[in-house]
Amino acid sequence: MGYASTIKVPFGPQHPALKEPENFIFEVDGDIVVNVTPRLGYVHRGIEKGFERRTYVQNLYLAERICGICSHAHTTCYVQAVEELLNVDPPPRAKYIRTIIAELERLHSHSLWVGVAAHEAGFDTLFMYTWRDREEVMDLLEAISGNRVHYAMNTLGGVRRDMPADTFQTVKKCMDSFEKRVKEYLHIMKTEQTFLKRTTGVGVLKPEDAITTSAVGPNLRASGIKEDVRADEPYAAYGEIPFHVITAGGGDVLSRALVRSEEMLESISIIRYALDHIPEGPTRIRVPVAVPAGEAVSRVEAPRGELIHYAKSNGTSKPERYKVRAPTLANIPSLAKTLIGSHLADVPLVLAGIDPCFSCMDRMVFVDQNKDKQWIWSMEELKRHVKVERD
Amino acid sequence: MEKTSEISDKLKKYLKDNIVEMKNPRERRIFLRVKREAFRESLEYVINDLGFKHLSTITGVDVGTGIELLYHMVLNDAVVLTLGFSVPKEKATTRTITDLVPSAVLYEREIHEMLGVDFEGHPNLIPLILPEGWPQDVYPLRKERQFEELRKIALET
Repeated sequence: MGYASTIKVPFGPQHPALKEPENFIFEVDGDIVVNVTPRLGYVHRGIEKGFERRTYVQNLYLAERICGICSHAHTTCYVQAVEELLNVDPPPRAKYIRTIIAELERLHSHSLWVGVAAHEAGFDTLFMYTWRDREEVMDLLEAISGNRVHYAMNTLGGVRRDMPADTFQTVKKCMDSFEKRVKEYLHIMKTEQTFLKRTTGVGVLKPEDAITTSAVGPNLRASGIKEDVRADEPYAAYGEIPFHVITAGGGDVLSRALVRSEEMLESISIIRYALDHIPEGPTRIRVPVAVPAGEAVSRVEAPRGELIHYAKSNGTSKPERYKVRAPTLANIPSLAKTLIGSHLADVPLVLAGIDPCFSCMDRMVFVDQNKDKQWIWSMEELKRHVKVERD
Repeated sequence: MEKTSEISDKLKKYLKDNIVEMKNPRERRIFLRVKREAFRESLEYVINDLGFKHLSTITGVDVGTGIELLYHMVLNDAVVLTLGFSVPKEKATTRTITDLVPSAVLYEREIHEMLGVDFEGHPNLIPLILPEGWPQDVYPLRKERQFEELRKIALET
């Protein structure tokens, strides 16, 4: 069976499928991958250690910057953990706003993924279309929060700003046009041979493997397993909003594409429902600076799957320990499993198929700084720089 | 859905004196700390008898004299059981759980390099995240390591 020797093919850190750095060493026998070794950490910034030396309010800004795509998921997870430690419950209106932003974030994240997957499948027209439509969602987020990437909506005890009344109509209008587009993409994915031939049966993750490797999010649901933190353990306003958990049976890249696309339709209906049923009232309550000693586990369904934060407080204004596990790290073991046995040519597509987000995953302990020293600034130097710029 | 309190009762009944601390701060959350020698047995019980299949992650915490390992296990309908025990700093070793839960493979590597815990029997306990050339005895998440010192090391490696 097979050949006596295999060849090692390095992929990355300049990644073939994504714009983020990651390294995989593939051992190939002919054209077939027989082993995969991931090497992570190229964008490691030491955020967990950073949490320990900042106050809970400062950490809001840090949590926001764990990821540039799912920044809202991380802050939601963070504020939920701290609110649990403080034993406060944010006002209902704030919970609805958190939900609306979370679903808008899912829309732009999933359409980003559809674009990347289409590109990897060699279908660049679809890539261009989805990314154009994604811009409209980004514009909505900007209209609501003033920011395209770090919306900074969450704060301890609620949300930082109310949604302006005029944005309700803008959001609804955009949802109508976006829904049509998503339905069109679904139709294309299901019928276009270019796409089907490239994705059907590629990178299959069997349901039993998905469970033993603790896969999360759309990758898990594309293997037919119905798990979604929003439904299993409702947070924010999800307990009051009806929606379906989407699954598909194939476990391949096509199933992942279909699950994400149909989830976009669900997100649209969640946003509509939330806009129609959002209660009036305050959007935040004040919380104390010091947090009583305790520990909390907080979970959120980020666009890429289950996100879990663990917080341990010691009675001061800074956490004793803060742990973040982003969904991509949880999906690496199952990814390695699916890559083994696939063709080398399918590797970029399968890699992109899990929708990896490496900056999110690499957050843990230390700076991956450029070796060039002039790039390393202390906080004081940075402040000085900002001041000079302002002057 | 099986109630959180029912699960805690079962755990109490089964583990008895091996429980060091058990907290049930709210619905869907159980924090359980057991004696070090009883951890393996407790985990097997949690997986095989109580049906917790999903390992969300493992958290390592520097608690001064030792390192506390917290295994966050999730039941299908979302009860999160945090099962933990401590190992002393001078002999920070424990048996790997990768034979029971294959997905622990990366989380154990992460804790190994960040907090210096050895997982006996782990298939490949090599660095996962820290830069190449990082000194072997520097575990960044231990409390005695200061941020400035780590920054200096990062610049030199």
